[in-house]
Amino acid sequence: MKHFATVFNYELKTQLTKKAGIVTMIVMIIIALVGTSVPRIIALFDKPAEPGTPTEITAPAPEVDSAIGYVVTDEDAARLLAPAIGENPKLYDSRDALVKAIEAEEVELGFVIDQSLNYEAIFKDRSMYEERDTHFGNALTHIKKEQMILSHGLTVDDFNAIENQSAQGQVTILGKNSGNNYLLSFVLMLVVYMVVLMYGNTVSSIIAREKDSRTMEILITSTRPSSLILGKVAAAGVAAVLQFGLVVLAAYIGFQMNKSTYPEIVIMMVSGSLSSSYLLTYLFFSFFGFILYLFLYAALGSTVSKMEDLGSATALVQFLFIFSYVMASIAAQTPNSTLAVVASVIPFSAIMVMPMRAGLVSVPWSQLILAGGLMLVAVAFFAFLSIKIYRWGSLNYGNKTKLTRIVKEALRPDIR
Amino acid sequence: MKLEVKDIKKSFGEKEILHGVSFEVVSGRAMGFLGRNGAGKSTTIRCLMDVFRQDSGQFLLDGQPFRPWEMRIGYLPEERGMYQKNDVLGQLTYFAMLRGANRADAARTAHYWIDYFSLGDFKKKKLETLSKGNQQKIQIAQSFLNEPDILILDEPFSGLDPVNAQVFKDTIAQFVKEGKLVIFSSHQMSYVEEVCDDVTLIHEGNILLTGDLKQIKQAEGRDKLLITPMNGELGALQDKLTAAFPTLVITQDRGSLIVDTQGKAMQAELLSWFAQDGTALRRFGLYEPSLADIFIQKVGETA
Repeated sequence: MKHFATVFNYELKTQLTKKAGIVTMIVMIIIALVGTSVPRIIALFDKPAEPGTPTEITAPAPEVDSAIGYVVTDEDAARLLAPAIGENPKLYDSRDALVKAIEAEEVELGFVIDQSLNYEAIFKDRSMYEERDTHFGNALTHIKKEQMILSHGLTVDDFNAIENQSAQGQVTILGKNSGNNYLLSFVLMLVVYMVVLMYGNTVSSIIAREKDSRTMEILITSTRPSSLILGKVAAAGVAAVLQFGLVVLAAYIGFQMNKSTYPEIVIMMVSGSLSSSYLLTYLFFSFFGFILYLFLYAALGSTVSKMEDLGSATALVQFLFIFSYVMASIAAQTPNSTLAVVASVIPFSAIMVMPMRAGLVSVPWSQLILAGGLMLVAVAFFAFLSIKIYRWGSLNYGNKTKLTRIVKEALRPDIR
Repeated sequence: MKLEVKDIKKSFGEKEILHGVSFEVVSGRAMGFLGRNGAGKSTTIRCLMDVFRQDSGQFLLDGQPFRPWEMRIGYLPEERGMYQKNDVLGQLTYFAMLRGANRADAARTAHYWIDYFSLGDFKKKKLETLSKGNQQKIQIAQSFLNEPDILILDEPFSGLDPVNAQVFKDTIAQFVKEGKLVIFSSHQMSYVEEVCDDVTLIHEGNILLTGDLKQIKQAEGRDKLLITPMNGELGALQDKLTAAFPTLVITQDRGSLIVDTQGKAMQAELLSWFAQDGTALRRFGLYEPSLADIFIQKVGETA
């Protein structure tokens, strides 16, 4: 560990001054600022409602589109339909006639309405954004409801009064309100996801490049492998905190600057019940989980001889991490399910699942302590293993070796 | 300082690569470690540098176990590499610090060796922007950082042009003059012959010979004469000599005959014979084999 600081300083400086890294960070900071300004940008283009105009609840607007044809066989139905189809609708005698008109592109859309005011909508081609049939269905539903209300001797106003009755309730939450924390937990999980993938790949490519360029032999004959691996991982960790800290800071500044334009519910979801215990849980599991993955990436980066093999070598850890993401998504829906609880304790998935659960529900202390302990043990073990694999990697070039064999050989006592 | 390599054995899988390698190196003398490709030179050096751990045997420095990470060692691996995308000065400073120098000393030694190889204009350049020859100089410079007490260079002349090779030879000579312990492996005999005081010859993981180069040459040339006829007709002369002296062992070598007289007495007899025979000679003298001759002969003996 004599040269840990030397390795750390050199690697950190190299990472922070890398042009590609600087450009990526600037882009991400701009995205964070622009992203948090979206409500303000939308507000600039939205026309404000005219003051003093009361909002009225009315029946859906009738379709009077000349591009629509109708077939109404029942006279009573035709009378009731008048508000829905306008004064001069294009009427056809039969369904066949309507179909022919549609095929000849006389009309774009046709409705065949029966005596019960049920309907069939006929299109030649239906676009993804087509909504006219839905609107027409709503109008018919409204008419049908109105008829039923009248048939029971009531007025529409009576019905609305009945509909508007509600019980006054008060909610007391002893633990956490999942709804409030969901958005924040999800955003923070995405931050961890991006950080691990970005910096994990950085660490593995740094080591693979050292091996590919044969720099490794100079390094391991100059200092201990433990200093090299720990220095590199620590540098990547600090670079991530510094660089992503800037992005989070930019997002925070953007949010504060544009807070007034955010819907109330979003403000509540972002800052609603953000507690220090949640933040601590998030920081602990995210940080140590991140370090755990960095060691895994470092170890796998040591196993390849050429840069082009790096992708396949790190596929396993990528898969593990994506599995963790899926588990966190499941935990977001069912935070207290057995699957979510188990995943929040296993170190590889605890990185994302435990913060997600902690955001949504009150996680028992026993589970937090167990998961935290396992996480620390896993970090220590994989740090040791990655040092051994790194040392093994410096002796092995060329042939691809199975991971199980690598671990077995790396742990041999004659490899210092 | 005296570095002793004692009975080093190393296997990879079932195959033993080094079969008890032993030799010694002392300060103030350069030792050339010779062998064909795959003879075991790099494996021995890697065991010495603790890149590989030997299965048995010892490396001792002045009688104590040799711990390379505790020493000031300049090491040039056979497969050289440095950070292609990092600047030259930065990475040399980094390597110097990894070997124990503080930042100021590391920067000083890095500057010194970059300037020594006349690459001052490239200090802030990325390594990948330098020509291949200049990259080699930087790679060699990294092994000279921090005024090492021990220099271990694996195939240092590989890929060097004659001018750079001369610069490098002069530098090694300077290190030797300063009393450093120098080992370098090579299969290029001429360079070893020019630079080294001692040689060790390894073949298929076995040491064929080791010791003072001059003494080895004398021993290998003992009782042998080098005879070059004026007319260049080696075959005719060899036939005449064989007829006159059936016990002589005569071989042809690059326009001359090498005659193993198997004793000093025969040499005087031969001289008299030539005087009487009247064969015009360009050269008649003691034979001193080149290192390449010794190498070929020794390797040939094992075949």
